[in-house]
Amino acid sequence: MGRIPLIGKVGIIWVLMYLALKFLVSPPLPSSVIFMYMSLVTVCVLLYVSVFQDDADAFFGPIKRFIAGDDNEGGLRKLSRVVVFIAIPLFFGFRSYNSNMPSFEPPIQQRVIHPAPPTQFVGLYNPYREDKEHFAENVAAGGKIFFENCVFCHGDKLDGNGIFADGFNLRPANFTDPTTISMLQEAFLFWRISKGGIGLPEESTPWDSAMPRWEAMLSEEDRWKVILFLYDYTGYAPRTWE
Amino acid sequence: MRTILSLFFFLILALPAFADEKPASGGSGNVEAGKVIYDKRCIFCHGKEGAGDGPASERFSPKPRDFTMGLFKYRTTPNGMMPTDDDLFKVVSHGLPGTGMPAWDDVLSEQDRRDVVAYIKTFSERFAKQTEPLPVVAIGAEIPSSPESIEKGRELFQKLECFKCHGNEGRGNGPSALTLTDDKGDPILPRNLTLNWHFRGGGEAKDIYMRINTGLNGTPMPSFTDSLDNEKSWHLANYVRSLSPATRPAMDVVIKSKKVTGAIPTDPADPFWQAGGEGGQDANWFPMVGQVVRHERHFTPTVRDIFVKSVFNQDEIGFLISWNDPSESKEGDPLPTPGGAVEEDLFGSFGQEEDSSKAAAPTTASDDAISVQFPSVKPEGFKKPFFVRGDDKLSVNLWNWTAGKLSESNSNGIDKETMQAQEGVAIQGAGGYKEGQYQIVLKRSLLSDDKVNDTQFEVGKFTSIAFQARDGHNGETGTKMSISHWYFVLLEPETPKEVFIYPPLVFLAVLGFELILRWRLRKSNDSKK
Repeated sequence: MGRIPLIGKVGIIWVLMYLALKFLVSPPLPSSVIFMYMSLVTVCVLLYVSVFQDDADAFFGPIKRFIAGDDNEGGLRKLSRVVVFIAIPLFFGFRSYNSNMPSFEPPIQQRVIHPAPPTQFVGLYNPYREDKEHFAENVAAGGKIFFENCVFCHGDKLDGNGIFADGFNLRPANFTDPTTISMLQEAFLFWRISKGGIGLPEESTPWDSAMPRWEAMLSEEDRWKVILFLYDYTGYAPRTWE
Repeated sequence: MRTILSLFFFLILALPAFADEKPASGGSGNVEAGKVIYDKRCIFCHGKEGAGDGPASERFSPKPRDFTMGLFKYRTTPNGMMPTDDDLFKVVSHGLPGTGMPAWDDVLSEQDRRDVVAYIKTFSERFAKQTEPLPVVAIGAEIPSSPESIEKGRELFQKLECFKCHGNEGRGNGPSALTLTDDKGDPILPRNLTLNWHFRGGGEAKDIYMRINTGLNGTPMPSFTDSLDNEKSWHLANYVRSLSPATRPAMDVVIKSKKVTGAIPTDPADPFWQAGGEGGQDANWFPMVGQVVRHERHFTPTVRDIFVKSVFNQDEIGFLISWNDPSESKEGDPLPTPGGAVEEDLFGSFGQEEDSSKAAAPTTASDDAISVQFPSVKPEGFKKPFFVRGDDKLSVNLWNWTAGKLSESNSNGIDKETMQAQEGVAIQGAGGYKEGQYQIVLKRSLLSDDKVNDTQFEVGKFTSIAFQARDGHNGETGTKMSISHWYFVLLEPETPKEVFIYPPLVFLAVLGFELILRWRLRKSNDSKK
């Protein structure tokens, strides 16, 4: 360790800090936050190396020598200085260009993906879940409902890739994805199916979901049966409170 | 000892897997295993007995394949012949784009798919009767696409009368297009050859080569193999391929409306809108889907693609909207009877008697129409009116072109449309139908007097925009239509002057700092010496 010059150590620490902030923190930090933390790291490092004169010499010496150059230095050293001297202003010029150029990115629309259901839907249970005698029958009935109604968006494989999926901007939910129905209770599905995209609460605006209000088109029984089918086909179990 | 034993067992277990790597054409699938997969994955469309009558079949067009007929469209075998196992395997694996048939290769293993193919073959006796090996259409040495090859292909397209179904410009609008039926008596439309991403069997020249040499069994599409040799097949395939864009259009959710200096012409044929003109930029492409959100739903829309571009000047904003439709329809036009006017000689043995048991359909068409939808008032924050014609709280402003008539309306829900007084209609527009394609220009002043009902356009602001289309030959009236989701139109602001001033200043400042630093360092080094 002692053989690495101070400037190398500082460089390594700086890069390690960056990598940790970039890849180890979950959920990922926005780049503006990373920039803020890295500025702090830079200030701390500079403080540290300038406390003792020896450290300061060890740290700034090579930098000074690189900037100032030497009369009898090689051509490569000269060339690398020219490159660095042009690259750094270019970098800042480019940053300035980017921040001044008007952005044509549409406004980002954040939304709550799984909002809390209204109270009347909390604690509902699927009346067909415990009916072991007619289970297969009810699943098949749910499948029929799915393939008559839901398949156009949610797809033949229940993967959210139905023939109309491309036309909707929130794509239809992919039920085979482990972060959808397996994380949710049946009552939540019943709410979302019954009330549709337009029935979402305020915090989930914009109401971009194309999900119809199925209570207008399917009976309560049919809605529970289709939920039974979704879990049976994908092999997931609904989330419960136990 | 244990290692040797486990190695031994591993080999025993692995052997069949290696054997399955390259199954011989013609039966490496297990019928029993295939039935288990079929009963879980396939019956909802293709039905318990393979008759294409599962619960999903009612609302899909094209309908799921009826395996009991033993007729398969996408083959490598000559016209009228059975498909090879590999043909069926390919369809199961890769699906048929634009239909309900998905690609199963991410869910089912290769062996699973072979098993399903084996089971599917039990539904029709024609497979059992097929004992001799099937001949396969060979694709000869490729002739790469070139202007000469495309021109020769165009001549063949005329000579072989492809235009009778596919239309002069290939948009699936030929004179007999609306009368065609398949062998089950269901109406069938000729493919629009200008949108190759919808081609079921693949959109590249080699796929087209295969289709024109094999035909599509059970449909009016014959094989032209008797009139084509390898060279001619490539020419025709290259021509058909050239009718579609080189690459599938990518979706950009923002229509960038371009600032122009002069007037915005309402005639879509004006050189202004053509390549090289002020409004000659590439159009945005958006997918259109059936209105399946509100009762009464529409599952088989005609219009699946819409192309839009926009320009503005200091007073007005204009949109050029184009979409494909195999027929021009006006309210009251008589509808053709499917199967009624099929030319028998063209389709040989595949012209079948029509099914007279079909329920009485409407006998006259309604108007073809397009609507461009905006929020009536720019909403606060992220709120937007519901994308299908607004909601109770937030209304939308619609610019309607209905078989040549212009109107403006507001809507608070799919069945709550209020027409604006005709004398106050501020939009202007023109355009019409030509060779299977509509091209319509709609324009309006950027700002209007009615700030409550009319959307207002500001430079540099994102305005939500959506589209709705109707094909009057497809029963599309009322709630039945093609819809799009919300996208954006942005009136491109001029590049601010800062963009050209600040970056060079920053560059010079940083460079100057570097040079001063170097100068000072050298000076202090010199003084030390």
